[in-house]
Amino acid sequence: MTADDLAALVALAGLPGMGPRRLRALVDRRPPSEAWVLATAGHPGRLRLALRTGDDVTTLAGAWSAAARGVDPAARLAAHEAAGVSVHPHPEVVGGAPSPGADATDGPEVETMYPSGLVDDPDPPAVLFAQGSLEALDGPCVAVVGTRRCTGTGGGMARELGRELAAAGVRVVSGLALGIDGAAHRGALDALTGDPGAAPPIGVVGSGLDVPYPSRHRDLWAAVAGSGILLSEAPLGLRPAAWRFPARNRLIAALAHVVVVVESHAVGGSLHTVHEAIQRDVEVMAVPGSVRNPAAAGTNQLLAEGATPVRDVEDVLMALGLQRGRRRSRAERRPPPTATAASVLDAFDWEPATFEHLAVRTGLDLPELAVALEQLVAGGWVLAEGGWYERRVSA
Amino acid sequence: MLGIVPSATLLGVDGHAVTVEVHVTDGLPAFTVVGLPDASCREVRDRARAAIECSRLRWPLRRVTVNLAPPTVRKVGSGLDLAVAMALLVADGQLEAPALEGRAFLGELGLDGRIRPVTGTVCLTEALGDAALVLPEESVEEARLVGGRRLHPVASLAQVVACARGEEPWPEPGPPRPAAVPPPPPDLADVRGQPMARYALEVAAAGGHHLLMLGPPGAGKTMLASRLPSLLPPLSDREALEATRIHSAGGFGLPAGGLVRVPPFRAPHHGASSVALIGGGTSLMRPGEISAATHGVLFLDELAEFAPHVLDALRQPLEEHQVRVARAAATVTFPARFLLVAAMNPCPCGHGGQPGGCRCTEGARLRYQRRLSGPLLDRFDLRVEVQRPTPDDLFTAAPGEASAPVAARVLEARARAAQRGVRCNAELSARRLDEVGPLDDAATDLLLDALRAGRLSARGLHRVRRVARTVADLDGAPHELGIRHVALALNLRVDAPGTLPVQAAAG
Repeated sequence: MTADDLAALVALAGLPGMGPRRLRALVDRRPPSEAWVLATAGHPGRLRLALRTGDDVTTLAGAWSAAARGVDPAARLAAHEAAGVSVHPHPEVVGGAPSPGADATDGPEVETMYPSGLVDDPDPPAVLFAQGSLEALDGPCVAVVGTRRCTGTGGGMARELGRELAAAGVRVVSGLALGIDGAAHRGALDALTGDPGAAPPIGVVGSGLDVPYPSRHRDLWAAVAGSGILLSEAPLGLRPAAWRFPARNRLIAALAHVVVVVESHAVGGSLHTVHEAIQRDVEVMAVPGSVRNPAAAGTNQLLAEGATPVRDVEDVLMALGLQRGRRRSRAERRPPPTATAASVLDAFDWEPATFEHLAVRTGLDLPELAVALEQLVAGGWVLAEGGWYERRVSA
Repeated sequence: MLGIVPSATLLGVDGHAVTVEVHVTDGLPAFTVVGLPDASCREVRDRARAAIECSRLRWPLRRVTVNLAPPTVRKVGSGLDLAVAMALLVADGQLEAPALEGRAFLGELGLDGRIRPVTGTVCLTEALGDAALVLPEESVEEARLVGGRRLHPVASLAQVVACARGEEPWPEPGPPRPAAVPPPPPDLADVRGQPMARYALEVAAAGGHHLLMLGPPGAGKTMLASRLPSLLPPLSDREALEATRIHSAGGFGLPAGGLVRVPPFRAPHHGASSVALIGGGTSLMRPGEISAATHGVLFLDELAEFAPHVLDALRQPLEEHQVRVARAAATVTFPARFLLVAAMNPCPCGHGGQPGGCRCTEGARLRYQRRLSGPLLDRFDLRVEVQRPTPDDLFTAAPGEASAPVAARVLEARARAAQRGVRCNAELSARRLDEVGPLDDAATDLLLDALRAGRLSARGLHRVRRVARTVADLDGAPHELGIRHVALALNLRVDAPGTLPVQAAAG
């Protein structure tokens, strides 16, 4: 494989609507530079044969030839090098048919450090883009995933798991999304600040590595790339599209040895990750939640279907065969400030509650309840957000 | 040759006296109305001609000029019809001028000569001074509210002419109709459970604090809001007359018995235009919903569904308690002193308040929240989460407290505010707050903590203290504010959607 082929592969991956299956079909037993010419020539008939599809590809052929206009593959590749993004083609693409007329002396052979866990995957990416250190991929990996709209308890649990897994030397792989994903990565980064020997985090994303999504997580992307690795199937500059997130989820499932779902609604992207994990024989674990918490409906369903429950990090380590020491006690050690506050704390049942819920459950006078809640918030027992209160997991 | 008759016209909620002058002279038959009449006013020619002919009177086939003085005030509507017809008959010599001396005329003419009521009778009557007033029978009850002048209710033009010719005595109004007891506003006893929402209503009524209710669909936000009028003190005489004038001028309809005594409750649909809400219109200058809610409650359900520019138009009236509507033709001021109660879902799916409960996409939530401006949200002293009552509450819980005892506490709290020289605590200035609501040490510490933790902004601080003042009034603590009151006030002002960190948990 020549540098030209690599450049063509990068350019191919950037075409609109180019999913992993189409890209694999195009470069199967065909040098990427040849595939690039074929894909952008605007011949629907030839394209349909190459893609091995029965569908009408007239629109696609038109879109690709339009998108290819003015694109210089070599410049694209150079931009990736300049941005510190390494390009890793699948070994089969590297070892595929050579370009006609090219011989070994024609250009430098392309080196690839394709993740070993993905080589034999049923649905491997033809090319991966990486930012950060590739050594981060070597070692036990646990995916910590879940809903973007999590409860404070769920977010706290994800962060705790991320921190303790990383401290135990387990790589946390996740999607850098809002909610559980981001919290797990922040936990893994927490562990690294305390102990440089902790495991580096792995982030798998659905957009180009220079397009942080959600933009609120820009700092988190930089931190994960700085101390671990960021992976994507999309070349630089590609905006996130809805279909790329399920594709991203399959990579998370493929890289992980265990998938832990911390919180998931009855329907959601993290259940897609679970589906991909089951297809790959990766163990699925779930954190139990209150049956009245809508953000735990999906995880509780997983448990009902036979997923292994996660009570704390020891359960995950056990599943990885890394069982260490004794389970530490979760019991709250500090006594609550007052008897009233204690009764309020008991009224929570570990699920989010409004002031009104608590007033009904405790039967307290409203001002008294308000004072007790303020004491609990000030003491860090309870989290307040937008009129809702949540009992905090003791750290 | 000349007939002069006093009448009045309506601009906004104010009546203006108008002198109707009619001049009839020889020349080609013509009928001209001058003196800034609008189109509906100019149509008087066709109505007056038909009515005069149907009443077996003669329409002068001569040159007729109608002048409506003063010419600087725009005349709108058909209320001047009767006055024009009478002045015309005088000018044409069919009636003697002295017969109409000291009488003013109000009323629209039907083609058959009947006299129809006009909107804004209360305001028009006020504008006419102490002249005896000849007016449609249907308007007598409204005009009687003003008091102090003779009223002659009439049914037709023929009757008025007969009276003026001395063939009949001027009719006198019958005895006032016994004031029908208005149906009582919905009672708070119907609300089961929901102690916090009930309490928020009580505080809103007692302190005049604007209230925003957040909660999923079906939580009973509309039901709660409609209970608020039963908690507010009944309108004083002055307030009742002001509210009645607005209702009369705007054609909002008056209750049986005439005076608006029960605090009005206005709930415009979220499709309302800004003119419908604020008032105005090109020629009519009609008061809007916010004026109709004066001394009562303006309830905006589905707040986020209102057009953003319509909501932002509320900001100035909320501060100044009146609204100035300026148009090319005129500028009018409408009173707008209302208690604003709004309800909204925290996000499009309605379940976004609860951590982990939302099913919306991030973009949809942000778009929804961007519809409300921060300054408007800031006007709500009270912001509470309202949750669906549990089935237990609905079926087994004892009925909640009725409106009457709550209204008694509200009245007491308002009396305390009156001693401080304001109508209600919401009007206390920041400087007066230090005087009338000093904080004890524990309360000060609590507020300092809340400020440091970012749960409270500097602007929110005064609002929380005002609410705490009301909470303490209701708690029977007339002077110092304790931690009980401040803690509860903080819980009565939760983060509104626009001010929420969208993702607090993962950070």
